[in-house]
Amino acid sequence: MLRETEETETILKLTDYRVGFRTERGLAKAVDGVSLSLKRGSTLAIVGESGSGKTVLNRGVMGLLGANIIEGGSAEFQGKELVNESRQKFWGIKMAMIFQDPMTSLNPVMKVGKQVSEPLRLHQGMSKKAARERTIELFTLVGIPEPAQRFNEYPHQLSGGMRQRVMISIALAIDPDLLIADEPTTSLDVTVQKYILDLLVEIQSKSDMSMIIITHDLGVARGRADEIMVMYGGRVMEMAPAETLFQSMMHPYTEALFSSIPRLNDPKHTRLKPIEGFPPDIVDGPQGCKFAPRCKYAQDICLTAHPPETIDNGHAYSCFFPVGTDAGIQALESNEARGFTATGLKIKSKSEAI
Amino acid sequence: MPKAVKRFIGLLGLLTIVSMVTFGAMNFLGDPLFNILGPVAADVDNPESLAAIEEAKAQYHLDKSLPERWARWAWDFIRGDFGVQFSSSGQPPVSDLIKERLPRTLELMAVAQLIAVSLAIPWSVLAASRANRRTDKISTITAFAFVSIPSFAMAVILFYFFSVQLDFLPDTYTANDPFWGFSHDHRLIQLILPGFTLGLGSAAAYQRLLRTDMITTLQQDFILMAKSKGVSKRRVLYSHALRPSLFSLITLLAINIGFMIGGSLVVEQFFRIPGIGSAVVEATLREDFPVVLAVVMIVSAGFMVFNYLADYLYTLVDPRVRHEDSSKPRKITSMGM
Amino acid sequence: MNDEQATDMDNINTIDSETAEVQEETNDSNPLEVSEFADKKTLGFGFWLAAFWLVLISFLAVFSPMLPFKDSEKNYIAFEQKENPITGKMQERPIQPPYAPSSEHWLGTDQDARDILSRSIEGARISLAVGALTALFGMVVGGTLGMIAGYFKGVLDKVVGAIFLVVLSFPGLILAILIVALLDRSLLTISVTLGILGVAPIGRLARAQTLSFSEREFVMAAETLGSKKSRILIKELLPNVLIPMSTLAMLVIAVAIVGEGTLAFLGLSVQGSATWGKLILTGSGLNTLESSPWVAFVPMGFLFLTVASFNYLSDRIRDYFDVRDIFVTRD
Repeated sequence: MLRETEETETILKLTDYRVGFRTERGLAKAVDGVSLSLKRGSTLAIVGESGSGKTVLNRGVMGLLGANIIEGGSAEFQGKELVNESRQKFWGIKMAMIFQDPMTSLNPVMKVGKQVSEPLRLHQGMSKKAARERTIELFTLVGIPEPAQRFNEYPHQLSGGMRQRVMISIALAIDPDLLIADEPTTSLDVTVQKYILDLLVEIQSKSDMSMIIITHDLGVARGRADEIMVMYGGRVMEMAPAETLFQSMMHPYTEALFSSIPRLNDPKHTRLKPIEGFPPDIVDGPQGCKFAPRCKYAQDICLTAHPPETIDNGHAYSCFFPVGTDAGIQALESNEARGFTATGLKIKSKSEAI
Repeated sequence: MPKAVKRFIGLLGLLTIVSMVTFGAMNFLGDPLFNILGPVAADVDNPESLAAIEEAKAQYHLDKSLPERWARWAWDFIRGDFGVQFSSSGQPPVSDLIKERLPRTLELMAVAQLIAVSLAIPWSVLAASRANRRTDKISTITAFAFVSIPSFAMAVILFYFFSVQLDFLPDTYTANDPFWGFSHDHRLIQLILPGFTLGLGSAAAYQRLLRTDMITTLQQDFILMAKSKGVSKRRVLYSHALRPSLFSLITLLAINIGFMIGGSLVVEQFFRIPGIGSAVVEATLREDFPVVLAVVMIVSAGFMVFNYLADYLYTLVDPRVRHEDSSKPRKITSMGM
Repeated sequence: MNDEQATDMDNINTIDSETAEVQEETNDSNPLEVSEFADKKTLGFGFWLAAFWLVLISFLAVFSPMLPFKDSEKNYIAFEQKENPITGKMQERPIQPPYAPSSEHWLGTDQDARDILSRSIEGARISLAVGALTALFGMVVGGTLGMIAGYFKGVLDKVVGAIFLVVLSFPGLILAILIVALLDRSLLTISVTLGILGVAPIGRLARAQTLSFSEREFVMAAETLGSKKSRILIKELLPNVLIPMSTLAMLVIAVAIVGEGTLAFLGLSVQGSATWGKLILTGSGLNTLESSPWVAFVPMGFLFLTVASFNYLSDRIRDYFDVRDIFVTRD
């Protein structure tokens, strides 16, 4: 999917990007120093539980969080700095977004056709008739049956899958350089999910746009993303090219996330292992590694120091006791022997678990 | 039975009870004979007067029992015969008076409602787009103050500032002037002051409701979506956020017509507009029962019909209701007269 | 790529120290307590201001006969020395009232040289009495009917509901004019008439509250213990219905004060006494407004502050106790 040309242009480059909200209790650091770079035509998947900061990160980049936030670090879009600047000039032209729930993100009292043709009329100077024709074309492209008739229908008259297709046609109408899809299939049936995701990827590779897919499901990212970033508590836990990540997960959180989610190709009756505990408090969170309180590998050092980022051949992760390394195996074994981790999390030893 | 038919029958039943109560109250508390004949009615010793009394009793069926008289009245009313004005000389039909007065009141209400809505919408949009900032706080206080100013006080205030001090708007209303036009000799301009008197309080009430609904709407995902499509701020507010926020306002608009009728009594009296409100006040003071009864019926029916219509108007702005059978129950804040 | 991430690392480390600082700060001020305090609803400054005004005006109204105000009915004609144009002698001549606010008459006088401050306070006596009587009538009749309907349900509930519906479908003000015109213009008649208009809204609220409370555990418990129904209604249900009902009653007071003013403007207010409505009417003629606006605007100020205060109190208390959908006057 990554188009190999001599000069792959960087569309989005975040350097130590931070987003905070002012709350009664203090600053809530929803995104706490994220760095990444996204090339033209490539796809990045951001994976994490709800509350990991992945949605805030993307809405922050889009500039959709309103005035009540504090931004820090740097975010460059096509070489232009975004932080503390208005992004309005990119909206509907260079950037587009697909939201999680098409029921709430489509205007309930506006005909879907109008909602799709709006950016065409506003930014591409199309006449009403031309915009209508283009919209019907787009509806056909995303597989909406009877597109001319659908043009005059309201969102509540469409099924969930159809609504999400309408959302995708809006993104297509914009024809952006960067498309952010925030959990585009979470509210849909499993069967529709795959279709929509494949449609997105197909369109993305055809039109050479860059895409960020936000998901809590590592399975969604697999095979569709060039690179995967795992977020937790507003920080990057692990980032690697997709296949590298699936072959060798280094961060205990990635591992935990992977085994907590059902996959279509799992053997029947595979037992899921939910991650115990809750996402961290972003105002008054743990001092050291954010994941430590829920981590099976946690040792004393995890409580006091934030692990530095290790970079190994494009595979970056922040952990003192990475999965599969000697240190990691040792840490897990010692915790299993004790029956609990340094943070007091109770764990079962391997033999008991089986 | 369809719901609409059921409701319609309910309305008819209510109107029947309203007419019975009013009819009964007027006959128990007042004396229709006295209104028709004046002092003659009390002069029972004079054979001439006695003859007149007997004649009037027969003519107006006053010798019949109360239920029978009500039934006669109701039967006439249904056929469009509202009776005669007891206390006017020559006793012209009530319908003449209504025909002459009702359009004046409807004009006033239309102007007032127009003023209220066209003030309330931009006011609410402005406040909601700056929710909890200084502009919004000031506008909330202003709206609260306007809601607390009764229409008679508003009449005095506006009259003082715009007619007395600034000498800017006409202080007289002439029923015979043409309506449409922009000089002081046109009723449209003469109605501005009374219209604002009725409209400002309503505008504030609408603003309080619409602002809250707008703020809720502005937090929806589809607003973010519209922004991310590059729709301008103004367009987001007016063409994306406004319409889905209008649902409860429509119900309030209909209910408020009832309040405006109350307010228009005073406004018509103050600005000397010969409308149905001043007609009913005059008729009550003279105990001209057929007029009072007719006005009570028209106003109650109008009030009920508007409430009834609100539900159908609702479907115009909410396509979701249009495509479903049941409209969701809505609750609205209101209390008063 | 490697270089890029090296800088990332540096940055992350720098934030870490920042983060630690921020966390220390929040730890010091004990974030939990702060958040609890912030979440706690307060009545606000405006609430106390409104309450203060209402206490003040009620106090003045009740005790005005004992307070050193001017006589509200006396004509304080002022005189001046002026040369008689015919005789050429200096003579004492009366000045044409109304008089503007001065140290003698703080808020001026009306056309009959009567002190407006005293008259406005006299007006408060009548207007507040009308308001209080109206609310009392509405609460007693509406509250009783509503609570009975809500507690006994069934046929009683249907009948009471129908009564409320009929009362609500009358054009209220026309009904009031009719009753007042046909009966008399005593304080009691006006209050009861306006009170009838408050019965249905208050009654509906009382019914809804009773209905929801009558299914709560404490009522069930009293029932199983064999308490008499009248006892349950008064001891268990009434205290719970009273708070929401009294916020509505405050609104009814405001509406009654406005209603009295409206009647006054139609020439139908309390006979013989000065009410705010009548005082405003006295000053609202074209000539009086032009020459001496204070005659109308002073009593209007009293009326506005009082009505606004009742409205505001009702609003705030409703928010504070989280009483929802209190003003449902129709289905």
